[in-house]
Amino acid sequence: MRAAYTYKYLSIVVAAIVMALSSTGCGEEPDFCEADIETVTLHVDDPEAYFYQSTDSMQVVLSTDTAIVIIVRGNADVTSLSPVFTLSPGATIAPASGSTHDFSNGPVMYTVTSQDKHWTRRYSVSIVPTTHTVSDTVRYDFEHFELETANQRYYTWHNALADGTLGNDWATANAGYRISMGSAQPMDYPTTPLLDGYDGAAVCLRTSDTGPFGAMANKRLAAGNLFLGTFDIAVAMSDHLHATRFGIPFTSKPDRFTGYYTFEPGATVQDFYGKPITGRTDSADVYAVFYRNHDAAGAEVVLYGDNVLSSSQIVAVANLGYVAPTTTWTAWDVEFVYREDIDEQLLANRGYSLAIVFSSSRRGGDFVGAIGSRLCIDKVRVICSHEE
Amino acid sequence: MTDIKKYILTLVLAASTALGIQATVLDSLRVDVRLGYALGGTLPTHLDNKIRHINSFNPGFNFTVAAEASYPLNERWAIHTGLRLELGSMDVDSRVKNYDIEVVRGDESLDGIFNGNVRIKTAQRRITLPVQASYSLSDKWQLRGGLFMGWLTNRRFWGWAYDGYLREGTPIGAKIEMGSEPGERGDFDFDANMRHMQWGIDVGADYQFHRRWGAFAELTYGLSGLFKSDFKAVDTLRPLYGTLGILYRFK
Repeated sequence: MRAAYTYKYLSIVVAAIVMALSSTGCGEEPDFCEADIETVTLHVDDPEAYFYQSTDSMQVVLSTDTAIVIIVRGNADVTSLSPVFTLSPGATIAPASGSTHDFSNGPVMYTVTSQDKHWTRRYSVSIVPTTHTVSDTVRYDFEHFELETANQRYYTWHNALADGTLGNDWATANAGYRISMGSAQPMDYPTTPLLDGYDGAAVCLRTSDTGPFGAMANKRLAAGNLFLGTFDIAVAMSDHLHATRFGIPFTSKPDRFTGYYTFEPGATVQDFYGKPITGRTDSADVYAVFYRNHDAAGAEVVLYGDNVLSSSQIVAVANLGYVAPTTTWTAWDVEFVYREDIDEQLLANRGYSLAIVFSSSRRGGDFVGAIGSRLCIDKVRVICSHEE
Repeated sequence: MTDIKKYILTLVLAASTALGIQATVLDSLRVDVRLGYALGGTLPTHLDNKIRHINSFNPGFNFTVAAEASYPLNERWAIHTGLRLELGSMDVDSRVKNYDIEVVRGDESLDGIFNGNVRIKTAQRRITLPVQASYSLSDKWQLRGGLFMGWLTNRRFWGWAYDGYLREGTPIGAKIEMGSEPGERGDFDFDANMRHMQWGIDVGADYQFHRRWGAFAELTYGLSGLFKSDFKAVDTLRPLYGTLGILYRFK
């Protein structure tokens, strides 16, 4: 395999020489070979009445996502809608962008074909009327996990929804670990399932060595993490703190954040340069953040690795703080501390998001921590207050 | 530079030794030293249209020093051989589209389709032993042709993909943006994959414009390829070097 790549690089050298010696061009530009839906927009007559938030009418689609879900108000009519797509350059889509379909019987499938016709991607688009249901307690038990479907290289988790289907509320940075450690087996990744947890399966986060790529990039470790939100692998290399997009819309007022954990710090904390820091014990992170997901100008807001605990959008925080090392399952129960009152109307309109963040090394974002630190989590509950 | 001096000294010694042999045994041997500038590279089977633009190209410091000798067989024909030290480097910056790349570090690698910029640097030092038949057209013109064996004493091939994005594995794989700084970009290094031993065809011409001084042109075409044989590239790339220079004949 490598020969072909070496050849490829060499042909650049060749091209350079040929182009330097003559004034030949580079030949005809090759067709684009990507087949992505980049954005989806739903144009409706009265967006205020149709969407909970007007920004919900347009969605940016991650390169790793082929199941697009658009949430609309519970009373919205979805029998005749015409989503409009922007595609990667040169790509085409069938059925056509802007064509009208009935979304009331589940997702509509679209196929995107690259300009060079060699590549296709199948997308499902769901437009889901969602009623604002008030739940007393939101349960996360980590019983539903699977190897990611594209390459079967690492685990992903699903949350059980009230109707028995599975959601995608939880994200990890496992996809990012794959960039640096392509040879890793599923159980070598920082975030893995633990079959024998506190109650059924649990999830284990382990601070892991990122190998030769990590050392070269001064990103020598990857803390195991698990969070409510999405992981944007596109910026994992170029801007890693913005790869973790913390928070999902949450329509109940959270009061308490509970669960069970074990935590064993790794042997030696190392600094950014991989040098041991003596006399320091690694610490984990267990916290939940409730925030307004639109700013004053009406723009959508998600919290990132660099502001999840400091953003002015934050309304309440439930932070376990010091995570005492323990090898036996230990319960935590932390209250959300509110900084401002909840706007019930905004709450009903999906204007608040909840981020729950677990990390096996608190300073993992700065690549400081102890390789081997292990935080296991099970039976997480977000206990909410009744609406008045 | 001390390395270069050492090599030049070795070549001069080799030439002196040859002169010594000439004085005693091979009275008819003709010996010269040469200094040439090489335009090197690899001969493509076709130009890849996925390379959209050459942002910059620095052919680097490429020269050859040599001590060579001819042993006449008759009026016209002679056997020509020698020792050459060839130094070469290159620095190319290009913009590519849909380009298959692999970035490698240690045992880990990441491959896919890249859109963006690729920087490539090469450096090598090669000692070559040509064995040629030479034919004198006249007192001034001499044509040569034959084979060469080359030994790479130092070879480097490295670079990075930057300011663009990789589609992991295939064009529909995860999109990973790459920046320009180390750690944000995709570095590769193929030093270990280059061949040490090379061989190929070598043709040249000498023009004697003075009793002692002359000019020469040389074209060497590597038949062994630049990379190890376990690299099964469909289109084998072969190094092609053209050298122009001057020679000084001792006798």
